[in-house]
Amino acid sequence: MRTLFILVPVIALAATGCAPDTAAPAQAAERFHAAVSAHREEAACAMLTRKTAENLPNPGQTCAEALREVKLGPGGRVTAVSVWGEDAQVRLAGDTLFLHEFSDGWRVKAAGCEPVPDLPYKCEVED
Amino acid sequence: MRWLKENSLTLAFMIMFFLALGGQALSGMLQYNDRQLAEGAEPVSFLQYVTSSSFAVDVAENWQSEYLQFFLFIMLTVWLVQKGSPESKEVDEAGAESDEKQRIGPYAGPDSPPWAKVGGLRLWLFSNSLGMVMGVVFVLSWLAQSVAGQAAYNSERLGDLRDPVDWWSYVTSPEFWNRTLQNWQSELLAVLSMVALAIYLRQRGSPESKPVGAPHSATGVEG
Repeated sequence: MRTLFILVPVIALAATGCAPDTAAPAQAAERFHAAVSAHREEAACAMLTRKTAENLPNPGQTCAEALREVKLGPGGRVTAVSVWGEDAQVRLAGDTLFLHEFSDGWRVKAAGCEPVPDLPYKCEVED
Repeated sequence: MRWLKENSLTLAFMIMFFLALGGQALSGMLQYNDRQLAEGAEPVSFLQYVTSSSFAVDVAENWQSEYLQFFLFIMLTVWLVQKGSPESKEVDEAGAESDEKQRIGPYAGPDSPPWAKVGGLRLWLFSNSLGMVMGVVFVLSWLAQSVAGQAAYNSERLGDLRDPVDWWSYVTSPEFWNRTLQNWQSELLAVLSMVALAIYLRQRGSPESKPVGAPHSATGVEG
């Protein structure tokens, strides 16, 4: 019976991963697109993961300049959010974003993403 | 001291179990954090790791296979035999055996467990309780593996910029069956080795072996 008592919390803990907070990553995605739409690229860059913000610019370019060049389309309203552990996918009417959760909140790992059958999404902004 | 001696086998396995589980948790956290840093993510604490889907799936996939192993061993040895193996009954004793041999109902002794003396559902439940508990724990562990495995797999897929999958897609995926079957094959090989090697090999003093001088043809004899 001891094993049963251990297994129940294991299943419960595993199941809690299925009902996470979807609002926080959705808001982070909306804030990112709002900053891009308002041409506040520096603020948008501050919402990227460190790795993405470092990889985005070409040599001699700032993150904000690189983001301006990418010309992301309007995000629009949130249509779906999927959160698994520290990772999330937020679908907006006009874009799909991937986010990662850090101790200071959710940050955008990839944006401007288009699906590719059987392969990872192809993203305008990614790490 | 007498209590310790009487329970030394259970206690030894329990201590080894907790040490191994703790070691798995610690080494798993270090490996997980190594990967986190390489991917530009933050390291997690010990508590965060042991409550993560990554740790849960690693634990559950091993548990389910162990309980499946014992469930199959318990149930199949009712009907299947192996001549010469101490893990098997005598060849002509295959089956559920008579009430008299099983000491149940009117054949129960004064020291028999209470549910062995009664009839009906309670007797049936008690008569099959070992196999049922092993079977139920196997099913629950396998279910836990599927739920935790889906969570860990989807987290990995999102990190790789791929769509997450639903539970049914996960339990029919190569990832789920590879995790499952790599454990099953090793458990089945271990039982096969035990049943077959014990025909010809001996371990003096172990009840899992025949007595050293017992003939290779002797079946169901434990030392």
